[in-house]
Amino acid sequence: MNELLQLIANGLVTGSIIAIAAIGLSLVYGILKIVNFAHGEYLVFGAYMALVVNVTWGQSLVLGALFAMVMTALLGIALEFGLWRPIRKRGAGIVSLFIVSIGLALVLRNSILLWQGGAPRRYDVDVFQVYELGPIRLSLSQIVVIIVASVAIVAVGLLLARTTLGKAMRALSDSRDLASVSGIDTDRITAYTWILGSALAGLGGVLQGLVQNAFEPNMGFRLLLLIFAAVILGGVGSAYGALVGGLVLGLMMEVSTWSALPADGVDAVYKPVVAFVVLILVLIFRPQGIFGRARTV
Amino acid sequence: MSGLANVQFWAFVGVVAGIYTIFALGLQLQFGFTGLLNFGHVAFMAIGAYTMAILVVKVEWPLWLSALVAIAVSMLFGLIIGLPTVRLRADYLAITTIAFGEIIRFIAVNQQTLTGGPQGTINLTGAGRASSYNREWLDFQAWAQDQLEVILGDHATRDVTMLVLVWIVAIVLIILLQFMVHSPWGRVLRSVREDEDATSALGKNVFSYKLQSLAVGAAIGAIAGLFFAFQFSFFSPQDFDPLTTFFAYVIVLLGGTAKNWGVPVGALIFAFIFAGTRFLDFWPLSEITSADRAFLRLIVVGLILIGLMAFRPQGIFGKKEEMVLE
Amino acid sequence: MSAPERNGTILELSDVVKHFGGIAAVAGAELDVRRGSITALIGPNGAGKTTLFNIVSGFYKPERGVISFRGERIDRKPPHAIAKRGLVRTFQITKALTKMSVLENMMLAAPDQPGEQLWRLVVTPRSARAREREVHQKAHEVLKLVRLDRLADDYAGTLSGGQRKLLEFGRALMRDPTMIMLDEPMAGVNPSLGLELLDHMKRLQDERGTTFLLIEHDMEVVMNVSERVIVMNEGRVISAGPPDEVRNDQAVIDAYLGTGRGSGESTRPTEETPPGEGETA
Repeated sequence: MNELLQLIANGLVTGSIIAIAAIGLSLVYGILKIVNFAHGEYLVFGAYMALVVNVTWGQSLVLGALFAMVMTALLGIALEFGLWRPIRKRGAGIVSLFIVSIGLALVLRNSILLWQGGAPRRYDVDVFQVYELGPIRLSLSQIVVIIVASVAIVAVGLLLARTTLGKAMRALSDSRDLASVSGIDTDRITAYTWILGSALAGLGGVLQGLVQNAFEPNMGFRLLLLIFAAVILGGVGSAYGALVGGLVLGLMMEVSTWSALPADGVDAVYKPVVAFVVLILVLIFRPQGIFGRARTV
Repeated sequence: MSGLANVQFWAFVGVVAGIYTIFALGLQLQFGFTGLLNFGHVAFMAIGAYTMAILVVKVEWPLWLSALVAIAVSMLFGLIIGLPTVRLRADYLAITTIAFGEIIRFIAVNQQTLTGGPQGTINLTGAGRASSYNREWLDFQAWAQDQLEVILGDHATRDVTMLVLVWIVAIVLIILLQFMVHSPWGRVLRSVREDEDATSALGKNVFSYKLQSLAVGAAIGAIAGLFFAFQFSFFSPQDFDPLTTFFAYVIVLLGGTAKNWGVPVGALIFAFIFAGTRFLDFWPLSEITSADRAFLRLIVVGLILIGLMAFRPQGIFGKKEEMVLE
Repeated sequence: MSAPERNGTILELSDVVKHFGGIAAVAGAELDVRRGSITALIGPNGAGKTTLFNIVSGFYKPERGVISFRGERIDRKPPHAIAKRGLVRTFQITKALTKMSVLENMMLAAPDQPGEQLWRLVVTPRSARAREREVHQKAHEVLKLVRLDRLADDYAGTLSGGQRKLLEFGRALMRDPTMIMLDEPMAGVNPSLGLELLDHMKRLQDERGTTFLLIEHDMEVVMNVSERVIVMNEGRVISAGPPDEVRNDQAVIDAYLGTGRGSGESTRPTEETPPGEGETA
């Protein structure tokens, strides 16, 4: 039982990071028309931006995280205006857009590799502090992640639910065409959506870097597949779906290793495979995910 | 290593280009002709190579049989992967096939007893005992080399022999594929690529054709895997990562979607850029470390992908009117 | 083939229901089409006519209802299986395979091609080649019929809207179907060619007993060529019978007037008007 509680706690940590990144991916889905393969690299970008502040400049990681969010937001906006918008204007279809996002992912990831190298890096924080809350043991990093992620999720949730801007973003993320038809200034909302989506990605990257202790530029791709699975699970185009999908996926991945399960649970190294299997099963049996509308997937 | 005139070096490059040609031909059938955005293609290469190696080393089957079974197993995996994915929209199919590819790689890394684990096939008979699947192949290759010496004399080295063998297979495959895509079967594939609804309204089972395309493409990918295995004598899971599939896309898109004869051209250009920037030492390349060069190369690859989609989606040999990338 | 029996029912729909989102596009449709007849399906925009076509041809699955073709239930079958059983449809927004030639479009449509099966290509290449030659010849003949033969080697993408309608018609003919469902076959087609097509339809009806069900907005065509008219409104069939009866049916008049369109108004969509203005999916 204690093991299960620990796994659930771990799952919430993993899940909330995936959720944050997945919300971002889901929000920009309506703008891009495709699932952005480069989204994982936005996380990496954020992680390394924070690294610069925290390690190179010696400031606190909090400042680093804020810097990361700002810089990633700028990256997102720059790419929207410099790459996505011109390509969309040429009438590119889904296939072209996806291949472009692959190219972008390669450019981003290898630019970071070129700049910082591939050796694992870590933030300048005390990783050895462990706290015990009842039967659960959590490191400081994990606690920070849960708190920060929860705050971010609540803030974003309120933004999306209560504000006009948020509602417009949700409409846009679901369908650009419908949104523009209902009078939404798509260009402006697109910009805001990119800012929010990219900032969330940047934050997610910092949190992941924190939780992983050591990270390197290839972590983006590994996370991307998990984020994608969360988005699909929750329902494409639904920001809430991405949130729920992320948390559920994180929990599933961790709890699957519970030794009380048949065959002693899944071997820890296969946790990502659990996510992939979930992805495949959802696509077979309920392609619209939990919250999505039935649509061509 | 420098010197543009080094025949052995270029023979090696030619072999790699040939292997990539075969690999990309499988993708060309799936993506170029049928419109399936399969991004897990490297999995078929891995399955082909690993199945052969496992059968030769662990089950001790003759090489020719292991190779044939490897191709069949790869086709089977093509069907398995296809069943849940071919109905999906392009980008979902892409990411799902990547996920499948990663599952295969995970298994290759973690099922040590089956695959030798992260160190690769050298561990197939357990750590500490170097195992090899290559013996029969090397015999065959030596024989081929002897035949080749009659024509080429001293130039008939191991690499040159491999070059000839790989390219004979590549060209035979191209000819076969040309025949197939110009047949009624190929016509259905091309129609599926363009408009699935119109195709099924005309009585064709779109789902079945997509699976067939995946399976045949998987077989070809497996052949590429076999040659990879023979060329390098041993391999490990990191030889089969998604980047390999990305390269195949660059090759297919460069040469021209649905242009089989464009594939070797794309592969040669690609191999030339890669090998050239890897091994040639003149300035300014000599100023950049080898690791950094690798990153730069990949940035260039990414830019090529973006550039092709933005400016010349039909590639070198494609025709604009036939452009199906919208 | 014996003289086609005109009185049997070849297509029958019973209580067919299909929703999109919360809206019932088809809300309990009941109709039957007589074997060997030319029947028109009319109704105001949004009545659900094209949706019905999509359901009958297998592209949408109805939530409820039974559809029988030649006595066999087809409501759960996929499109290709229905087409193989002799029920062929054309599309309102044409689906020419634009990156392939006109001739290839036609040859693709032909049924029973051994060359389409990979293993047959390998094992029985001769029969595959023979059939390909047959198909090639037939394709040219049909192209001549629809006056597209001089464009045979052009990309179908270069065809005008009306020409694409003809291509769709030609593709349907390639299959020697038992029944053809035509979705606005005259849209964008020039009048004299349109008349030729109608003649051809009648000839097929006489010689082969082919059944036709057409969605048409052009009332002249409807009145002249169809023996029976089925009227849909808001997802239901509200009237069915000979053209004269239907045109005078108050329910039909109301339906058309109710959406602001007069009955009997000749609306021939030109090439500029996108065919099938705004029918929901």
